[in-house]
Amino acid sequence: PIEDLFASLNKHIQRSEFEQAVKVADQVLSIAPGDEDAIRCKVVALIKADSIDEALSAIRTYQKSPVDFSFFQAYCLYRQNKLDEALDSLKVQERNSASMLLESQILYRLEKLGACIDIYQKLQKSKIDSLEINSVASLVAAGR
Amino acid sequence: NPIVLDLAYNFIDFPSLENRM
Ligand SMILES: [K+]
Repeated sequence: PIEDLFASLNKHIQRSEFEQAVKVADQVLSIAPGDEDAIRCKVVALIKADSIDEALSAIRTYQKSPVDFSFFQAYCLYRQNKLDEALDSLKVQERNSASMLLESQILYRLEKLGACIDIYQKLQKSKIDSLEINSVASLVAAGR
Repeated sequence: NPIVLDLAYNFIDFPSLENRM
């Protein structure tokens, strides 16, 4: 039953066995093709397995599902250094700490340092671990 | 330019499967 597959999927996730997690997510999807948890697990597991091309291809496959992939897609595009496409993908999603953080990393690579520093200032109060490191890097890069 | 950390990676999360097992 599908509950057993999810238990197995969960076990692989806990053990960071991401390739195995992808396989089990695919098993779920063969039984329940539109299952949103399985789709999301598959995409996240592919990203965590460093299979960025495959993650993007899965996102394309499940584009019509109700799952909002824009952050994942933006992250994958960032990893592939497709920075303008990554920014476009972020624009369609609600702005939150995660999307702002990714946006700042993209802007840093694009050397849009002023915009990058602005975001770090807005994120100050959100208590993200190690944020200081990136914030200081952008200030140093901007020569401030 | 100094290296920045990939902090966005930490926000790539699995959904909770608690009520699916
Ligand atoms: K979608």
